[in-house]
Amino acid sequence: MRTVESSRWWEELSALAVDGFTYLDYLTAIDRGTHLDLVAHVVNPDTVEHLLVVAALPGDSAVVDSLVPLHAGANWHEREAAEMFGITFTGHPDPRRLLLRDESAAPPLRKSTPLPARVDTPWPGAATAGGDDAAGRRARRQLPPGVPAQWVAEGP
Amino acid sequence: MSHNDEIPAAAHGYIALTPAACTSCMLCVRECPSWCITLESHAVQTSEPGARRPTTVSVLDAFTIDFGLCMFCGICVEVCPFDALEWTPRFDYAASDRSGLVQAIDQLSGSGDQR
Repeated sequence: MRTVESSRWWEELSALAVDGFTYLDYLTAIDRGTHLDLVAHVVNPDTVEHLLVVAALPGDSAVVDSLVPLHAGANWHEREAAEMFGITFTGHPDPRRLLLRDESAAPPLRKSTPLPARVDTPWPGAATAGGDDAAGRRARRQLPPGVPAQWVAEGP
Repeated sequence: MSHNDEIPAAAHGYIALTPAACTSCMLCVRECPSWCITLESHAVQTSEPGARRPTTVSVLDAFTIDFGLCMFCGICVEVCPFDALEWTPRFDYAASDRSGLVQAIDQLSGSGDQR
């Protein structure tokens, strides 16, 4: 794995292509909570060496150079990363949405984007063993694991 | 169920419930990543002979698994402290609408003809 500055994304991958890493296997992103990691997996087809290249992007202004002029295969990967994570790839020749219809939707793979099914559905685990009147008191309110507290629908 | 002989006993086919073993502890409901289990219970005071004070136990009223939501991960089976939930090889519970996939105690406990 190689970590690079996002401002040098294009330069680093160009240099790698000169060094023989001419095949882009995939490109995606990971929401780390504090920032986004942009990940590209490149392969040297002659030696079968492969390398993960990672660049940290700030979540609120995720802008990076498009790799399409270098790797044509990055086209759809960047369109997917753009709509799923809200990343802008400058210089992309065809920056339409790839999979999502709704132009206004928040990027669904950002951890800050609420999942409607988790917001709208009352959590069945909120019920208390023995019912709410067990021992004449209500047990400490529990929250569903892995769901941010502000998403949880308020029960009756 | 003529093919059951060929299916391993612990196959992830259907989650069966033994109501008598369930203490209504809610662990399965809370651990389920799909939120497909519901459980209703009420508290009852019991006094054992010789006990100093009565104890409160939860009595199971209703238990459902929505197999339309279940992803067959088996976490509920793993977390059940009393083995009230277990995998069974049953597979023939297709339904013609969504509500038919919500299985209640009667079906889950196999009081019908399955297993």
